[in-house]
This record gives sequence, C-alpha cells and structure tokens, in this order.
Amino acid sequence: MFDVSPGHALVAFHSITKSFGPTKALSDFSLRGMAGSVHAITGENGAGKSTLMNLLAGVYQPDSGEIRLRGEPIRIENPGHAQRAGISTIFQELTLLPNLTVAENLFLGREPHRLGMIDRAAMQRRSREALDLVKSEVDVNKRCGELAVAAQQLIEVAKGLMAEADIFILDEPTAALNAPEVEMLGKLINSLKAAGKLIFYISHRLEEIFRFCDVVSVLKDGKHVATHAVGELTHDRLISLMVGRPLGQLYPARRPRIASASALEISNLLPAGARHAVSFSIGRGEIVGLAGLQGQGQREIIRAIAGIVPRAGGEVIRFGSTEGTKSLEPSIVATVRSGIGFVPEERKSEGLYLSLSIEQNVALGMLRRQPMWRYAEVRKPQIAELGARMGLRASNLEQPVSDLSGGNQQKVMMGRWLASGVDILLVEEPTRGVDVGAKSEIYALLRAFADSGGAVLMTSSELTEVIGLSDRILVVRDDQIVGDLDGIAATEESIMRHALGGLPGAGETRS
Amino acid sequence: MRIPFDRSSRSGLRLSTFALPLLLFIALCFLSPSFLSVQNLGNISGQVAALLIVSLGQLVVALIGGIDLSVGSVLSLATTIIVSVDPSYAPAVALLAGIAIGLVNGIGVTYVGVHPLIMTMASMTFVQGLSLFIHPVPGGTVADYLGSLATSPLLGIPAPLLWCVGAVGLAAFALSKTRFGLRLFAIGASPPSAARNGVPVKLYSIVCYVICSVAATVAGIFISGRVSSGDATVGASFALDSITAIAMGGVQLAGGAGSVTGVVLGTITLGLMTNGMNLLGISPFLRTAATGALLLFAISMQRRNVIGV
Repeated sequence: MFDVSPGHALVAFHSITKSFGPTKALSDFSLRGMAGSVHAITGENGAGKSTLMNLLAGVYQPDSGEIRLRGEPIRIENPGHAQRAGISTIFQELTLLPNLTVAENLFLGREPHRLGMIDRAAMQRRSREALDLVKSEVDVNKRCGELAVAAQQLIEVAKGLMAEADIFILDEPTAALNAPEVEMLGKLINSLKAAGKLIFYISHRLEEIFRFCDVVSVLKDGKHVATHAVGELTHDRLISLMVGRPLGQLYPARRPRIASASALEISNLLPAGARHAVSFSIGRGEIVGLAGLQGQGQREIIRAIAGIVPRAGGEVIRFGSTEGTKSLEPSIVATVRSGIGFVPEERKSEGLYLSLSIEQNVALGMLRRQPMWRYAEVRKPQIAELGARMGLRASNLEQPVSDLSGGNQQKVMMGRWLASGVDILLVEEPTRGVDVGAKSEIYALLRAFADSGGAVLMTSSELTEVIGLSDRILVVRDDQIVGDLDGIAATEESIMRHALGGLPGAGETRS
Repeated sequence: MRIPFDRSSRSGLRLSTFALPLLLFIALCFLSPSFLSVQNLGNISGQVAALLIVSLGQLVVALIGGIDLSVGSVLSLATTIIVSVDPSYAPAVALLAGIAIGLVNGIGVTYVGVHPLIMTMASMTFVQGLSLFIHPVPGGTVADYLGSLATSPLLGIPAPLLWCVGAVGLAAFALSKTRFGLRLFAIGASPPSAARNGVPVKLYSIVCYVICSVAATVAGIFISGRVSSGDATVGASFALDSITAIAMGGVQLAGGAGSVTGVVLGTITLGLMTNGMNLLGISPFLRTAATGALLLFAISMQRRNVIGV
C-alpha cells in the first residue's frame, strides 16, 4: 500500500486494539513507519492519534495486536522502557517539573552521573548545547516553574530531540509556538530525517503536514483510513479523508438569520485578568460561536458569563420568557437559578457525577427548583423519553455515567439541562472527545433547542464545528471581539483572518 | 551560597526556618541559667537525635507527597525486638522487620492505591499491637555493645551527635547528589510527568516508605541502647513530632519541596521547645498541646490550595 520512503520499516503496528472502558480508541489498527521519513499522523480529535503514540511511548499497552521495533516484537512496559528502546516522545501536554531546573528537567530519567553522583557540570554544559539547537536563551539553572509556557514548550522540544533515539514522536508540538519557532522546528526535523531517523508528527494542522512531512496516515474513529505520500494529496483530499464525509451532512440545517428578541445581553463584561471588556448579545433561536486561536480569552468570556470566572466589571442581563428581565449576579449558582445551563469543557470533573446513574444525573436538573427538603423524585418515564429523543446509547438508565462513551456522557450532560427547562445554554467544546456519529446528534440537539426558542453560546477550538453549527460567529483575539461574522457565509479563511489579525505570519497560516 | 527564600524554592527554606530556633536559643539562654550547661546540651542532643533520624525518614516520604504515621510504632517495635531477641542478631531482626513494614506501606500505597494516611494508620495500629504483644511491660536488658554505641563518645564527640551527623550526611548526599534524590523531587511535583520522563514512580515510592521505616528502626535501636530497655509505647509521640518537625523545616507535605537543612532546623526547634518547657517547669502535657498548635501553624504557612494536603 505504501512504499514511498527509502529505508526499512523501523516500527510496525500490527492489528492493534486498545479500549478504554467501553470505548474503542483503536481497533484492528496496522501501520508501518520507515527510517528516514517524517510520518504525519492525523485525523479529527478523538480519532486515536494520541492513543497510538502513547502505545509507542509506553504510556499504554495494547489490549491485543503486536508492535514490532526494528523487526522484533516488543511490549513497551513504561516510558522508561521506551526511552531505552530508542523512542523519544515530545508529549502534547508539558511534562516539565516546575520545581526542577531547566537542566534537571532536560536530563530527568537519564541524568549524566559519575560514581552514583549526578554530574552537574556535564548536565549544564549539555543542556546549554541542546537549548542552543532550539535557539532558546533561558538560564539552564532557572526553575521551569518560573518560565512562560512558550519557553517551556521549547525546552520540551529540545528535550525530546536531544535524546539518543531513532524514533521521535512529536505530539502537536507547535501548539504554543509562534511562527519563527515553528520554522526552526521544521529545520530540526529535517536534520533528523537526513540522519535516517523516523519522526512521527501528530498534528491536525494541514499546513504543517504539507510543509514538514513525507507520508501521512489518516485515522478515524480508531481505524486506519489511508496512508499516502504527502505529494499525492491536496488539502481538500486530505480533509475529506479526515472527515470521511462532506461537511454538510454532519451539521443540521440552518435558517437564514432573522432579527429575534434578545435572550442575553453582555455589556462591557471584563473577566478578571482580561485586558479588554466585551459587549454582545444573543438572540432567541440563535447559536452563537466564540472562535479564535487557543487561549485568546474565549474561555474566560464564557466562564465570566456563567459566573465561574470572577468579573472585574460589566453586566450580564438575561431577558427571560418566564422570569422577566434581570441582571445576573456573578455566581454560577445565580446563573443556574435564573435558568441558564452551563456545559463545561471538562464534563467529567466539572459537570457530571460519574459514579451516579444516568437517571440520577438527569434528575438533578429536574429537581433544580425544588426546595431541598422535598422528596427527590426521579421521574423515570420522562427521563427515558428524553434519552430516546437524544439517541442515548446505554444498556439501562441505572448505568453509572462513568461507563458511557464521551458522546453519551455529553448527551447526559445536555439532557440534565434540557430536562430542567432552561432556555439559555452556555456550552464549552460541545463535542470534545466525542465520536463523529454522536457529534451530529449533539449538533442536532443544540439546533432543536435553539429552534424551540432557546439561545446557545458556545466555544469551540474546532473551526469546522463553529462554522457548521453557528448562526453567528464572534472571533476573539487578545480578549477582544474582533469579528462578528454570519455563520452561513463564514469560511475558515475569513475566521482565521480575524483571529490572526496583525500577528506576524498571519498571511501564511492557510495557503 | 545564596539561600533562596522565595516561596517557590525547592528547599522550602524561609527566613523563619532559621530565625525560630535561633530566637528560641537566645531566649532560653536568658530565661534559664542551666540551659547552657554541658549536661543540658547533652540532654538536648540525646532527645533530638532520635527525632532527627525519624524526621529524615519522614522527609523522604514527604518529598514524594506521602506521609508515614507508622514511624512511632516501628520505633517502639524495634526497642521491643532488641530486648526480646538474641543480642547477636537482634539489630538485624529489627531492621528486617522495619524493611517489611516499609514494603507493606509502600506496596499498599502504590499498587493497592490506599491513601497514605489510611495505609500507615493501619500499619501503625497493627505494629503498636504487635509491640505490646511482644513486650507488654517496659524493661528488659540491652546488649552492652548497643549501649555503648548509643552513649560512649568517640574522640570526645558525644555519641548522639555522631548518630546525627551520620544520618544527616547520608540524607544530604542522597537527596542533593544522587539521581535518586533528584527524581524524588520530580515525583513529588507530578507523578505522571515524572513517569513520562522515565522515572519508575512506583518502585521509587516503595523505596521511600522502606527508607522511612528503616530510619525509624535505627532510631529505635538508638533509643533502646540509650535507655537500656525495651518499651512498646516509647515511640508514641514520634509520628506527630516528626511531621511537625519537617513542616517547621519548610518541607511541603504535598510533595516536591523540602531540604535536609530544613529538617535539621525544624527538629532543633522542636527539641529546644521541649527542653525549654522542661527547664521552666511547664507541664509535659502542655508540651503535647503546643506541638499540635505548632503543626497547624507550620502547615498554615505553606503554599497550596488545601491546607495540610
């Protein structure tokens, strides 16, 4: 199927299956990686990219199937084992320890030593050399906790690249890097490739795949879709491989926007710690998406509206269908009490009661307005009806929520608010960790909620989702709203243009 | 050497860590004429030596974010073994028992997933019962060689001081010079991140609990040599005392920050306090009360979201 790169298969995955609870992260997955190539692993969120690389990095072990390293079957027991086997991983989330110095972090797990003692001089010298490679000028004796995130990511990259390894895994290495640093990373990758190493480059940033990589493998729902030489593909072809279907079918139909009564008005809202205040309003029947590059303040805005992030100023006014107009107190309790539901990004830790059953989780929403000494009745028929309407897949309603897949957990989370009769929903990352099938159902739920007179404000880091679902898109940059786009007319390009604004490298982000 | 006093330093040392024992020392010089006598200083070092050895063990466990409540019972058990077993191999038996308890604590915490507080509380109670069963009434005879190890000076240096220097030297070397020490700080800051950097977190955690139990056993052997008897309850106060001492020394109980210097200073602070209250004729019961208050005070000074975790 693919014989594009020279050299031999350094790594081969053969019929790998890996499940987490009832969710199959990878099923019957096979892939080969050749020496002297840069191999992109891509796919949508939740496609199984990170799971695959965590298997190779020794963080997880496969349930079945075989990994072959240089032709030999191997079971990688832990990250230390992977390092010794010549596999170096740059993890997506930072693994630097804040209380260790830069040099200590760079060499943790493989400290140079003499007679059992750490050779600090050698450690500092070699750290300096490694940091020079990535053109980082930080003091190697500084503790990592004192450094900014971008500096930390560079150190993480340096740590991964300086390892004596012949397989390098880079998991979304550019998330916190700016354009010149990405450029430099590209050069480093090229020199590794010239030295005959295998580089797995996990990313869903198309431009980087086309710039850095030789081969690309697309994953979808834990399965291998296709592997192609990058030169054989166009952007559009790669996107359709990733999505697996035309975008249109995934999202419910939208009606052209008509002026509607306001549901929520945000005036001069200044989330604590933000540099600018924002004002906007959301109408009934509307889904409004907050878009932008990561960490530009979207999360703070939606959380300040919900009353979780403290407000430094401004006002949130809700226009109620039943409860009249009122200015919301800045607290999540007041927000919920006024009939606004909040679906957090971290639904497991912030939203759901994992050990409770589906029906108990939903019933908590229904009981919202009851005095707390009243008998807490769980109205099973209503919950069953709601579950059926949402397409909830569970063996029964007494099942604990922890057993459900990400998509079904999200449905329970939304079901709680739908059952409680709220008419405004604040939703963070509606489909994070949700498989594609459940995604379209969740989109349909949100659309039906809006069509019945509800209002939705959502944040999402997936541009296609924002474009496909929103009636209006507010682009956030540097804590400010810099664009108010019509959802139907918006394109990735038009959003990115606003999102990047005057930042350096704005023009080259989408080619 | 510049000592970083900022709140995020890895040593956890603060100005107060140094100032408190110094102020206590100066105050006691004025308040009690007998404080500076050779005999009293010898007393203090004898009282402090055992606590210091136990606290250094407690430090190792605290660095990875653990806690060991069983140190006191383990210490008591060691003294009862010393008086109950053939003197020629009694210390070895005591050490083996210490290692076994440390292994059980460590495996319980890492592999079974029991919270360290519960795990070591369970072993504390178990070992306490065992010690009382072995040797219900304080007394017995201790071999001469152990007695002289714990009391006879060497080259004019008092024995307790030698024990202290040995324990401190060993701990300081292990924590600041070896890979093992560095990795303990890494585990304390974030076990998953440490694991991803190739640190065998579970193995190291078990080793920490074993070290802590062995330290308590050594302190038990020292005490039995010093008082020439076995006592199944002699260690009762050591769990709280050692935790208070390390907390006073700036060791962060959440893990990842602490230093041998701090533990030495914390132990001296506690020792001076005990001695001072003795000299001034204050009830020993109030001394216990003061230790509790001191622990809360020291913990409240630390940085973290939930106090005492």
